[in-house]
Amino acid sequence: MNEQFAMIIEDNEDLAIIFAEALQAAGFETDIIQDGETAVAQLETSIPRIIILDLHLPHVSGEEILKGIRSDQRFDDTRVIIATADPRMADMLKDEADLVLLKPISFGQLRDLAARLAPKTGANP
Amino acid sequence: MNHLMLNRWLDVPSTDPDDARRRKLLNILLVGIAGSILLTLAAIIVANTLLPALELPGLYPGIAASLVGLAIIYLINRYWSGWVAGTLFSLLLIVVVAFSDEPRQVVEGRSVFLFTIPILMASAVLRPWTSFVAAGISALIVTPIALSVDIIPPLPTMLGFFAFAFVAWLSARSLESALQDLRALNRELDQRVEERTRELRRANRQLARANERLLELDRLKSRFVSMVSHELRTPLGAIQGFTEMLRAGIYGSLANKQEDALRRIERNTKKLLNIVNDLLDQARIEAGELSLHPAPFPPEVLVEDLRSTVGVLAEKKGLDLTAEVDDDVPRPLYGDQERLHQVLVNLTNNAIKFTDEGGIHVHIGRADGDHSSHWAMEVSDTGPGIAEEDREHVFTAFRRVDDSMTREHTGVGLGLSIVKQLVELMDGDITLESELGRGSTFTVVLPLQQQNDKGENDE
Repeated sequence: MNEQFAMIIEDNEDLAIIFAEALQAAGFETDIIQDGETAVAQLETSIPRIIILDLHLPHVSGEEILKGIRSDQRFDDTRVIIATADPRMADMLKDEADLVLLKPISFGQLRDLAARLAPKTGANP
Repeated sequence: MNHLMLNRWLDVPSTDPDDARRRKLLNILLVGIAGSILLTLAAIIVANTLLPALELPGLYPGIAASLVGLAIIYLINRYWSGWVAGTLFSLLLIVVVAFSDEPRQVVEGRSVFLFTIPILMASAVLRPWTSFVAAGISALIVTPIALSVDIIPPLPTMLGFFAFAFVAWLSARSLESALQDLRALNRELDQRVEERTRELRRANRQLARANERLLELDRLKSRFVSMVSHELRTPLGAIQGFTEMLRAGIYGSLANKQEDALRRIERNTKKLLNIVNDLLDQARIEAGELSLHPAPFPPEVLVEDLRSTVGVLAEKKGLDLTAEVDDDVPRPLYGDQERLHQVLVNLTNNAIKFTDEGGIHVHIGRADGDHSSHWAMEVSDTGPGIAEEDREHVFTAFRRVDDSMTREHTGVGLGLSIVKQLVELMDGDITLESELGRGSTFTVVLPLQQQNDKGENDE
């Protein structure tokens, strides 16, 4: 587990940049991944502290990725934040994820949220 | 039941309604006469038993013959021909009348008037004009009877028969033509009813088709709105995010003018986003996709959140925003806090929008009257008020009370419509009281639910 590491899985580059900046402002190292397949491959080797997960992804959907994460003990301490524009999906996945944020997600909101999960301010909320 | 039975015996199946009517009338007469003969017979038998000395048996053959004659006419009438039966009946009546009394009485005495019976009957059970035939036969029969008792055949009496026949003919004719008119009218009515039914059925089919099209359009509209809203939200989110980052100095410090421009971009983006959110909410409510997430919450939170959301707005317009929560409101309340906040914000925003001086007062308390099971949120303003005729439109989506205000007050007119729909979704009710020039009060009344009531809906 890399306490400093946040993975952003989001196919919209603009939004991914905003998320990355917000997480960096909160003290995380970030990596942006824009498709589901790459995300699954990356997650084989790295265990991020935070995953920002978009649901509409090419190749492998966000929901499948979420299922994979939830069934893998390695990710027990990983916080999954779902970012979706679909309120129905937000309703449906409320229980599966640690947090569901409805797009548009404000930079400040995400930064403040991430800051609470950052290693310095308390790794075990 | 008995009535039906009797009708079955009296009705004669015939395709001609006039024929059926005449033959039924004849049947009624036959049955009636047979009935009276039987009654007479019974009376005779009783009298004979009580007073054996009377010796009336001479009447029996006559009675028997009459009954047989009536039965034969009945059978002919029912199974063969109305004409033949009617003719036989009329002739029989004439013969009976002719020999019912002493010849002198029949010709010029008390029994002369009896000839009016067959004349009248003939016009009724045969055709109107047969009354003249019956009058002729009656006159013919009177002649030999008169001669047999040495009386000159009474010409005035015979003329009287024809005069009476004329009256009978006239009345029977009028009756028949009236009946014919009635039947024509009936046929026309039937035809009209049928036409109308056809038209109605056609209209119904068209309506059903139109309705289907409308439903389809409605579904398409909802899908369109929700798709467009998603597509709009993503780029808007990006604009908002980058603006925020620029203002936060992530990409370096900014000059005052740049800062000001970014503030304007941010404000307009926020406005646009609110509209898109309203459209999306409206579409979700219409599609029945919006679900509530009730949970316990302290009522004070609603007021605090409201202040932080719209406080600045009210302050900017120089309006007092006051809010209070009554002590007797149960704590915690139970409901979808986020949606209740939305309701309160929309109502308050609306109040701020239309009020230029004075203030907005928000009050949370128990609903009066129904103190045990409901609580209420009231938003009162000192704005221009809403005219009576406009009040029903206030909650209609995309409707604005005064279109001239559109330029001055931005928005798409969804706020109050969403409020009403959300309140209804929460099994609540919203009412509006207003006085022109004084202000308006919106009252939302909601059920006080216990936590375990709606547990299954909880997250």
